[in-house]
Amino acid sequence: MGEIRLEAIYPSPVGAVWQALTDPVELSNWLMPSDFLPRLGHEFTFRTDPAPGFDGIVRCRVLEIEPERRLSFSWAGGGVDTVVTWTLMPHGDGTALTLVHSGFAGVRGALVQKILASGWKSKLLKRLGDKAAALAGQGAQ
Amino acid sequence: MSSAAMGRDIFQAIADPTRRAMLNRLQGGELNAGELAKGFALSQPALSKHLRILREAGLVRVAERGRFRVYALDSVALRGVFDWVSTFEAFWPAKLEALGAHLRGKANG
Repeated sequence: MGEIRLEAIYPSPVGAVWQALTDPVELSNWLMPSDFLPRLGHEFTFRTDPAPGFDGIVRCRVLEIEPERRLSFSWAGGGVDTVVTWTLMPHGDGTALTLVHSGFAGVRGALVQKILASGWKSKLLKRLGDKAAALAGQGAQ
Repeated sequence: MSSAAMGRDIFQAIADPTRRAMLNRLQGGELNAGELAKGFALSQPALSKHLRILREAGLVRVAERGRFRVYALDSVALRGVFDWVSTFEAFWPAKLEALGAHLRGKANG
């Protein structure tokens, strides 16, 4: 409960994946611009486009670092205060990478979980969409 | 300002199950306060407070219909909320794909 968990298999060896996760230049290339450093306790940010209620800055701190095995950092931004954890496992010649984004706290975090869990969003959105389509249809006549 | 303050109001407004139920009920169209409150054990002040919070968050609009005030969903504000949640759902799968592309680039370079 209260977490996002995703797994991906990459043909690249563990060392290459670890480097993509921990080299600031590589990380900035595929995730978001960041001043990350692979050092326990290091505070850093990711920067992206602002959105309503989000200044575009994710504030992070390295919580756990075990080379080529596990990397964990706090992730706070846009009203969520959470933890991101990467786990790497050799998979043949490649790598099985697990992402866990957990610890959703605060009003928005709790709400996101509630909405994701309840299906409320899709149900309501669909009806709103139907309504908008109906209104658009009326306008066209 | 305050898209941030406004956003916070919206999230607080829909964090409450009674207010979410009211919003769901409004999907069918305009309702007056009595129709909105039907089935909930709410005092008049509690009902007024829920309606005020929904109004102030920009989630519902009020109109006068004869001697009734009626409430309707404001879908623009809700869209903002859903956009935010959708961003969140879509974020990591997209990033894991971007990592895959990055790794392929490294392997080929």
